[in-house]
Amino acid sequence: MNHMNSAQPVFQTGLLHCVQLMGFLSLLRPAIWNRGVMLSLESFEVCRPATAMGDSVVDPARGTGLDQAPSSAPQGNGGTSLSVITEGVGELAVIDPEVAKKACEEVLEKVKLMHGISSDSLTKPADGSEAEHAPRTVVDLANGDIREGCEIKCLDDPPSTASKIQEEDETMANTVKTARKRQKNNSAKQSWLLRLFESKLFDISMAISYLYNSKEPGVQAYIGNRLFCFRNEEVDFYLPQLLNMYIHMDEDVGDAIKPYIVHRCRQSINFSLQCALLLGAYSSDMHISTQRHSRGTKLRKLILSDELKPAYKKRELPSLSPAPDMGLSPSKRTHQRSKSDATVTISLSSNLKRTASNPKVESEEEPVRLAPEREFIKSLIAIGKRLATLPTKEQKTQRLISELSLLNHKLPARAWLPTAGFDHHVVRVPHTQAVVLNSKDKAPYLIYVEVLECDNFDTANVPARIPENRIRSTRSAENLPECGITHEQRTSSFTTVPNYDNDDEAWSVDDIVELQVELPEIHTNSCDNISQFSVDSITSQESREPVFIAAGDIRRRLSEQLAHTPTSFKRDPEDPSAVALKEPWQEKVRRIREGSPYGHLPSWRLLSVIVKCGDDLRQELLAFQVLKQLQSIWEQERVPLWIKPYKILVISADSGMIEPVVNAVSIHQIKKQSLLSLLDYFLQEHGNYNTESFLTAQRNFVQSCAGYCLVCYLLQVKDRHNGNILLDADGHIIHIDFGFILSSSPRNLGFETSAFKLTTEFVDVMGGLDGDMFNYYKMLMLQGLIAARKHMDKVVQIVEIMQQGSQLPCFHGSSTIRNLKERFHMNMTEEQLQLLIEQMVDGSMRSITTKLYDGFQYLTNGIM
Amino acid sequence: MAQTEKKGGLLRKSSASKKPLKEKVVLMYDEIFTTEDPSKCNPRFWEELFLMKVNLEYLEGKLEALDGEELMKIKDNINCLFQHCIQALGEEHPIRVVNALQTLCALIRGVHQKNKSTSGFDIINMLVGFDKAELCMKNLMESLDSLLCAEGSESLKSLCLKLLLCLVTVTDNISQNTILEYVMINSIFEAILQILSSPLSRREHGYDAVVLLALLVNYRKYESVNPYIVKLSIVDDEATLNGMGLVIAQALSEYNRQYKDKEEEHQSGFFSALTNMVGSMFIADADEKISVQTNEAILLALYEAVHLNRNFITVLAQSHPEMGLMTTPTSPIPMTPVTPLGTTPPSSDVISSAELPLDADVQTSNLLITFLKYSSIVMQDTKDEHRLHSGKLCLIILTCIAEDQYANAFLHDDNMNFRVNLHRMPMRHRKKAADKNLPCRPLVCAVLDLMVEFIVTHMMKEFPMDLYIRCIQIVHKLLCYQKKCRVRLHYTWRELWSALINLLKFLMSNETVLLAKHNIFTLALMVVNLFNMFITYGDTFLPTPSSYDELYYEIIRMHQNFDNLYSMVLRLSTNAGQWKEPASKVTHALVNIRAIINHFNPKIESYAAVNHISQLSEDQVLEVVRSNYDTLTLKLQDGLDQYERYSEQHKEAAFFKELVRSISINVRKNLAFNTLSQELLLKEFSTIS
Repeated sequence: MNHMNSAQPVFQTGLLHCVQLMGFLSLLRPAIWNRGVMLSLESFEVCRPATAMGDSVVDPARGTGLDQAPSSAPQGNGGTSLSVITEGVGELAVIDPEVAKKACEEVLEKVKLMHGISSDSLTKPADGSEAEHAPRTVVDLANGDIREGCEIKCLDDPPSTASKIQEEDETMANTVKTARKRQKNNSAKQSWLLRLFESKLFDISMAISYLYNSKEPGVQAYIGNRLFCFRNEEVDFYLPQLLNMYIHMDEDVGDAIKPYIVHRCRQSINFSLQCALLLGAYSSDMHISTQRHSRGTKLRKLILSDELKPAYKKRELPSLSPAPDMGLSPSKRTHQRSKSDATVTISLSSNLKRTASNPKVESEEEPVRLAPEREFIKSLIAIGKRLATLPTKEQKTQRLISELSLLNHKLPARAWLPTAGFDHHVVRVPHTQAVVLNSKDKAPYLIYVEVLECDNFDTANVPARIPENRIRSTRSAENLPECGITHEQRTSSFTTVPNYDNDDEAWSVDDIVELQVELPEIHTNSCDNISQFSVDSITSQESREPVFIAAGDIRRRLSEQLAHTPTSFKRDPEDPSAVALKEPWQEKVRRIREGSPYGHLPSWRLLSVIVKCGDDLRQELLAFQVLKQLQSIWEQERVPLWIKPYKILVISADSGMIEPVVNAVSIHQIKKQSLLSLLDYFLQEHGNYNTESFLTAQRNFVQSCAGYCLVCYLLQVKDRHNGNILLDADGHIIHIDFGFILSSSPRNLGFETSAFKLTTEFVDVMGGLDGDMFNYYKMLMLQGLIAARKHMDKVVQIVEIMQQGSQLPCFHGSSTIRNLKERFHMNMTEEQLQLLIEQMVDGSMRSITTKLYDGFQYLTNGIM
Repeated sequence: MAQTEKKGGLLRKSSASKKPLKEKVVLMYDEIFTTEDPSKCNPRFWEELFLMKVNLEYLEGKLEALDGEELMKIKDNINCLFQHCIQALGEEHPIRVVNALQTLCALIRGVHQKNKSTSGFDIINMLVGFDKAELCMKNLMESLDSLLCAEGSESLKSLCLKLLLCLVTVTDNISQNTILEYVMINSIFEAILQILSSPLSRREHGYDAVVLLALLVNYRKYESVNPYIVKLSIVDDEATLNGMGLVIAQALSEYNRQYKDKEEEHQSGFFSALTNMVGSMFIADADEKISVQTNEAILLALYEAVHLNRNFITVLAQSHPEMGLMTTPTSPIPMTPVTPLGTTPPSSDVISSAELPLDADVQTSNLLITFLKYSSIVMQDTKDEHRLHSGKLCLIILTCIAEDQYANAFLHDDNMNFRVNLHRMPMRHRKKAADKNLPCRPLVCAVLDLMVEFIVTHMMKEFPMDLYIRCIQIVHKLLCYQKKCRVRLHYTWRELWSALINLLKFLMSNETVLLAKHNIFTLALMVVNLFNMFITYGDTFLPTPSSYDELYYEIIRMHQNFDNLYSMVLRLSTNAGQWKEPASKVTHALVNIRAIINHFNPKIESYAAVNHISQLSEDQVLEVVRSNYDTLTLKLQDGLDQYERYSEQHKEAAFFKELVRSISINVRKNLAFNTLSQELLLKEFSTIS
């Protein structure tokens, strides 16, 4: 619990405890490996009577916190808190909440102090967590005392590497005996729980689990503090759980969590946003009167009021260095951007005001920092709402494009896409690329967003606006050479002119119309016959000797070029997204970059996002978490199952954003467009049966299919029609739309009774029932289920916590969690499991209901 | 009624026969028209004058009545009046300002009407006096600038713009209006932009501002550096440009709407009762009646914006969703308040509901679409001079668009699909196409459709050669872009091909008539070269291999035309006549087409002979074509994908001079001071103060 001291004497006791710990671990092993960590709770309960509650608590912070040496104990052996506690009376297990709170406050105090120091010493304002990503500097040393031993330990022991743990187990085995002896002597007096908490194996999952299950305020407070030790990303994963607990559980839990949340909100604007959104969304199920005064609402208000912005507020020398790429000011004239139709309403709030033309203003008046982003999100949602009122897809698409083109007027802005994994500013929405997705009565849409990556969102300046048409691509029609350029000039221009792409020079000469050189095409076939022709045509002019070409060649080239383009879908006004999604991502990025005025900047990136309004994405978020957890479990257990969790941003209880899966189209779209069976489509896309490419795609298909079958079974994912199953360019299938999971199913029609969807078409792609790949598929499922079973608690925990205070349909009824646990079949032997898998596969294959459901979807929604 | 009363001053109703009582203001005017200094006996004369309601007619009439010499005599007083007007513009009370503005209008117009023959310098002398001219005009422009930019009354701003328009259009030839030199030095460009950028003032004065700008840009365009040209070409503020686009779009779509209304009026009348056949006989006559006065001023503004300002091109594609918004029958109101970012411009700022009757269902539109529709209407009938001018200007604007790379990018953007209902001339041999079945296509298809439509409908005795050449050039420029950027447009090229072949046919059958007036070989060469472009570079931009086959099919099918053309140009190029050179160029250009015909025709004949078929079907011909490509050799021609860029100064100067002259006259004619009723103004200002 104490994070700030690691005085010299502690070092040795730390070592000692390490040894003890190993013994402890070996005792606990069966429980941990086989039954999950929760068993150790029992040991805690057993231990409890033996320990005096809360009597002999040492206040570690007071004890050592103030007079510690600031830079000691760089090598973390054993957490200080552990050592302090054992140093004390050695038998306490429960921490006084008062003390814990104090300690926690002091931690925060300390962090603040650190900011002060570090900003003085010209280093980056960083604290423990931030320093991990940032290049390690002096700060790191200075921070050592904050993060201290236990955190470094956490780092050294990434829980995902199963092998490493096993190795450790082996090395442990040698010392086990001696350790066990010592253990026996001490065990009576030691708190096993505390030892667990301090052990290497104590990961964030356990922390969350204890936070949720423990009724002891002391334990809760301890874990609340302990959260500071974990890596940010680790905790971020459980953010929905933390916040849901904060909202719906008793005060002790809330008090334990709050300091951490507040601390992180001060650090990161993105974290603040996510918290605010999630708090809003998870509070929405409460009764309106209680909601208004609830803790969650208050915290949300606090975050949105922007009181949590970093107090030090130190922009990195904003006046000196408007980053080099921002210096590209397209027009030197300063112009006042007067109010227009497009900007008039926004300028009322003056939040999303573009400030690039006058960066000074920005740094002086310091707008509410979340406001531009919230405006950005709000306007995207508002567009979705307006689109929903239009009757046809065509009108929706046109409207979407024009709405986005107006939105562009307000960009670049201090806004970002929370689904991205890096800091950036949104600079442009290529509006013509946006498409409306298939949905009957709502209007989800997919947009592409151009962003400029930056080192730190908070400190970087918003990029300057570049007008739409300030793009001079090398294909400019205006560069058509005037007649009369000699052959020599022509050819020399071909050989010597460098590719102007990515070259700032090319952009600054914007207004020089006399750009007479014809630049080579950027296409891969830049020196093809056609470009030669234009040279040739000059040659013929020079020498007056006619050049002859064969008509057959022209015709052949035409058909060849069309054949070479990857199979693309035809434009279908009823399904505008099919074409957009089919285009390979890299191709799309290149194309949009070429057409963007920002495309030449090196930090340019393209993101995409699906905006959904009218849909509750909280279930999607839950499914994402479970998928992510399963994915890491399978990775840890080295089962080659493939699934693709896609990121979800819950904006409110009825809106949100989804990170689209790139290079993937739905099976429905494939069948409708290609009119082929799935197997034939595989053959068309990847080549014949025995080609490398086909075999890879087939393996990918099998691995992903097995993964998703397990997911569908465990989570009881329903509504599995072909519009909800994607196929990516590598042959993976990806299930989307987790609107019906666990206890809910669509309209209770009683369809989809099978464990998962496995049609004969799928089996055909796998090579038929007798094929090796089909056996491989079943084996993968078995391995996957065994692996998942081993870590059941990690999965169940995610769902269980979210059930608190939730009205989501997936938690309907009382037995959701029990049923979920049952599906892991903890009591079965592996042989029995194998049989179960066989049965499920068989059942699904034969399932009449799957076919019925597909038929039903075809009839009602036209989904093939 | 009110007019006559004013003219003679106030009349007492009962005693019409009595000597009319004169208004005070009229008396004061009379004092000015003496050689005496009016302020001599009344030191507060000028102060009082601007408190009086202006009597425009009287003042103008009085000035008109004087001849040059008489005017010279009272020059000092006129100068004095002018100066005091300018002084009054700075007054606090708006009534004085209004009166001063109106007096200025009358003064400027009156003096000009008198001095049509004299040079501009005399007018400056007459109005302001040489010595004070510079300072006076500077003050005038500054006052107008600040009035236009202030947050003041809208009607006051409107009056300012009217005064400026009056000043700009007093001469028929704008370049002879020397007084504009001061408007050049003391630019009010920024004030105009500000009006365009704010939605409220744009709605009120947008039209006047745009017309004023278009005229100012044309002042001594080719002789000197016109600061308005320079400034307009570098504007990059999107709000302003967008505002300008909105004003233009509004004016054009208003025209479209009026036309449509009239057209429907005609159709719903007795025509509907008649049978199609009889009806179509009358349509040609009826059509002329439908014509609505075209708006050249706004078209000129569009041209200048497109031609001068590269950034304006983006505005062309800027959609105006609010047009769709207004037409949504379901609750249009609740949508506006929910927009926090203001993605929906204020709903009051709507381009009326102009697009509603044109499109059956709700459609988003943009300036380019509106312009294309407008062009399709204007180009239907090029018989009268105004419409010919408008049609020509439309084609020039399209030429500029077709040359711009950014414009081409969005014209060809596969994701921006629109349904553009072009107006098609009713003709005997075709029915009016059903508008509703139009597919949604990239915008360039609409441009091509428009060109095809023009080609098909203007083969007449009064052959508009100039327009045809522009039309073919536009198609050529679009093809060059497609070739260069490898855009494979899914367009029914066949329609274009057959239109072009028909054009050739028309040229040949009317050879003697046309040759008397035009060099038809330039046009023929351009058409043939379009075909050459398809033949040699088809692989880079045709959508499918079969479209290349179809091209050959079409050429072979219509080979008679090419044969005739060849024999004609051969005949003329061997004769040593005036057409020798242009005709021989066409002979050279025809080489590939002739090769194709000569190569395939025997093959087709032998195929028919072998298979004993008298009439080959299209598929059979295509089959022959497909299997015989390899033995055909074509000659590569030079410069097919190169074109001369549009240049105004060298070739179009005369046209624009004439156009601006006609616009000036038109604007002057329509400038009505009385539109701005003084009573209304008085009411407005009495409540303010």
